[in-house]
Amino acid sequence: MFSNKAHKFRPYLFLLPGLIIVACLVGYGLFSAIVESLSTPENEGDFYYYIELWQNNTFLQALGISIWVAAVSTVISILVGLYLTRTMVRLFRKDHWKFLAWLPMLIPHFVAAYLVFLLFSPSGWVSSMFYQLGWIGSIGEFPVMVNDPFYLGVIFTYIWKEIPFVILMLLPVYQEMDLRYEDVSRTLGGSKWTVFKTVEFPWVWPVSIEVFLILFVFILGAFEVPALLGVTYPKMLPVLAYDWFYQAAWVNRPLAQAMMVCLSIVSLFAAILILTFSRRWRKKWTVRREEI
Amino acid sequence: MNENRKRVLLQGLFLLLFAIMFVIPIFFMFAKSISFGWQWPNLSPSGIDIRAWEVAFRDPRIYQSLINTVVIGGAVVIFNFLIATPAAYSLSRYEFKGKTMIESLLILPILVPVLAVAMGLHIPMIRLGLTDNLSGVILIHLLPTLPYAIRVLKAGFDRLNNDWEEQGAVLGARRATVFWTVIIPLMAPSIRSAALLVFVISLSQYVLTAIIGGGRVSTLPMIYYPFFSSADEAVIASFTVMFALLPVLFLILFETVCRSYLKILKKP
Amino acid sequence: MINIVALLVLITMSLVGCSSGNENTNTNENLSEASWEEIASEAEGSEVGIYMWGGDDGINRYIDDYVAPALQEQYDVTLNRYPMDAQDFLSKLMTEKQAGQEEGTADILWINGENFRSAKNNDLLYGDFASLLPNMESSIGDEAPFIHMDMGTEIDGHQVPWGNVQFAYQYNSEIVSDPPSSIEELVQWSIDHPGQFTYPNPTDFTGNGFIRHIMYDIADDPALLETFNEEWLEENGEDIWERLTEFKDSLWRQGNTYPESLAQLDQLYASGEVAFTMGFNEHRAESLIEDGVFSPSTETVVIEPGSISNTHYLSVPFNSPEPEGAMVAINFLISQEAQIQKIDPSMWGEGSVLDTSLLSEEELQELEDMSGPTIVQNKDILPELDARYHDWITENWEQQVVQ
Repeated sequence: MFSNKAHKFRPYLFLLPGLIIVACLVGYGLFSAIVESLSTPENEGDFYYYIELWQNNTFLQALGISIWVAAVSTVISILVGLYLTRTMVRLFRKDHWKFLAWLPMLIPHFVAAYLVFLLFSPSGWVSSMFYQLGWIGSIGEFPVMVNDPFYLGVIFTYIWKEIPFVILMLLPVYQEMDLRYEDVSRTLGGSKWTVFKTVEFPWVWPVSIEVFLILFVFILGAFEVPALLGVTYPKMLPVLAYDWFYQAAWVNRPLAQAMMVCLSIVSLFAAILILTFSRRWRKKWTVRREEI
Repeated sequence: MNENRKRVLLQGLFLLLFAIMFVIPIFFMFAKSISFGWQWPNLSPSGIDIRAWEVAFRDPRIYQSLINTVVIGGAVVIFNFLIATPAAYSLSRYEFKGKTMIESLLILPILVPVLAVAMGLHIPMIRLGLTDNLSGVILIHLLPTLPYAIRVLKAGFDRLNNDWEEQGAVLGARRATVFWTVIIPLMAPSIRSAALLVFVISLSQYVLTAIIGGGRVSTLPMIYYPFFSSADEAVIASFTVMFALLPVLFLILFETVCRSYLKILKKP
Repeated sequence: MINIVALLVLITMSLVGCSSGNENTNTNENLSEASWEEIASEAEGSEVGIYMWGGDDGINRYIDDYVAPALQEQYDVTLNRYPMDAQDFLSKLMTEKQAGQEEGTADILWINGENFRSAKNNDLLYGDFASLLPNMESSIGDEAPFIHMDMGTEIDGHQVPWGNVQFAYQYNSEIVSDPPSSIEELVQWSIDHPGQFTYPNPTDFTGNGFIRHIMYDIADDPALLETFNEEWLEENGEDIWERLTEFKDSLWRQGNTYPESLAQLDQLYASGEVAFTMGFNEHRAESLIEDGVFSPSTETVVIEPGSISNTHYLSVPFNSPEPEGAMVAINFLISQEAQIQKIDPSMWGEGSVLDTSLLSEEELQELEDMSGPTIVQNKDILPELDARYHDWITENWEQQVVQ
């Protein structure tokens, strides 16, 4: 239909406005972050702040706890979201049910964090209820769930907030997936697990890994929830960065910028890797689908 | 019979889950906002007091902030659609060189910590006169929202069958006509999700608005955030309820616009 | 489709272009030559923006309901309050300085201590303006030490004192029947009642104040700490950390974590999780009790070796668009009238910076009526420490106590 030259450039043209915005904003922002992080104090060698950063114990601890929180919250959100989507997919065909499913997304993150705090802190409402029920005798007996060293409160908040997002992203896949496939393979006598593995998994996998990427890096970089529900030590990366940016008369700013640059580079590589992978997978599957 | 019961059970389970995850927390927040002296281990407050709401609405900038918040959110949604729709369409329908690279670039804004970017962008934006005013804030809000809009809309286009467009083209309709009369209505669910997601993200921005808006552009988070460093839980709760209600209002507005658009389409 | 997008991009770009065109070229004319009358008449009709932390309803009301209308009426100056943290607006000013923006948005800043030092060292302030204000002389005088030094930094007229508060502890008298009267007793009380006491992370101003209080306790003589004394720190640093680790295990959460801010500690106290809270401003509990946030059985106590006093200030940034208006507003804020009004616990309720010897009989009476019973006796007042102590605490506390 459109075999002329214009056709060849069309996709790029469509992408242009978005690319301009991203390139200008992120490009410049990142560029100045790099410049600042590469500055060196007198009598010090190149990459001073980067060397400093990776020898800084506070940073390494923060990195560890951040990866823990991001990984656990993301994996649990995806598993639960996947389960809910699978079970409810027929229900979600009706618009009003689907609508209800992602209504919780309307709650901003810091609001969710504050709610978790009010409900689950040792003096929170759940603790009061346990006391009234006679399950605990004093505030001290209530298990520590917010501001705890394992970041359970933070993880819980993220799981609560991200499940609707997972459902939102996975639902189109399940709706597109012809349910007849499933019937066919069921009549063929496969177990539930085989059905999932052979029929659903190839469809769900690329989207899931994309969702994993988005959520993982989001949690790694988001400030509000750990600021409210985290602990003094170890801090999560964004909270540490905020401290470094604003405290001690700004002397730690280059260090904070070095941290941001490292995070960005790792995230970018992860993104390229995951997107390449998911595209290959999708292509392969499309071919297989046509063969059937 | 069995199938039917299973469905009822499923619906019940889902409603229960929904109540736990959404209805109860909001209700609890509202109760908190009108409570007086609610201390452990009481399950309900010792008194009712609308002081917190008075505090919230006595602030001379509250109405201006509400308007600003909605205007910024609305503008961010519109710009997102203008930019994200062609991008998502392109990513979903075409194969071309460097696609993965471009795709990765487009989600870059959520991969890079916003604090670092905003700090670096502050100087050029001052020089361009884009600080301390609405347009600067709208522009910077594109940063955390655009990647989500592109992802959600792309998922929508992926799901749409190519056949519709081809049929339309075969019948001789112009591509643009096909786009507005066939694709957009079919995309309605994705458009709705994208709009809402973008609005909520824009609504909850504090750091970006504070840096680029410089305190002059007053949005709801600008008034609300400082109260987090006070012990006044009732006031925090009253603002929280507002935060939960704004997207609902936006949704109602958005639905009305969508419905009327579809109605106009159906008429001729 | 493409055309629409292209058009929009063009429109946005031209908008950007336009708004960059009307950058203002106002230069800071030097006001030190001007008389007060000239400044006041220049200020008429101006709109002044005050940047200050906005998380307290009482403080906000004092500005919005009392100061702003009074300024409008008496001086024809419109005052707008913009809620923003000190560290945020200083960072903004720093960037504006780097970008060479000569006309900013802020006219008055609310700062002190460490923030003042960074602002002054980086030339973010307007300069010496205090000597221009008539009320500096007529209501604050020249006596008090806080007029010249702010936590070890020479003020040089770059800021004007606005309020004076004392460090004190609040406790729930239903739980604490016999309140401790010294740091030693407080430590012992915490050990006897595990989990019921804690203090905010020293990156928080109040948390840092608590450790400065401990420092005063370790030092035999307050005079030892009068100026930044590195020798003393080297000799006695260990004792400070020892005192803090001594009762760490019996703190809230076994001292594994600390409230990140005073607000978090206040919330823990309000909900009954801990029995003590603390803070600068000895009258802070009054309005919190009234609003139902703190329990009515809350009492305030000063603990030996005394009460650290802290002063906060008002200043004008280097790129204020309305410096005259800012000065008129600040002059009003330090007037006897506005200072006495600030003591009223139903609004702000904090100490004034007035020199009481300059007050008339009538005003003195009014001041006493407003402030209620004295909590901090004059003999208990400890001067605020050099800001470098603040930094020393922040830098070392985490390693010495938490890790």
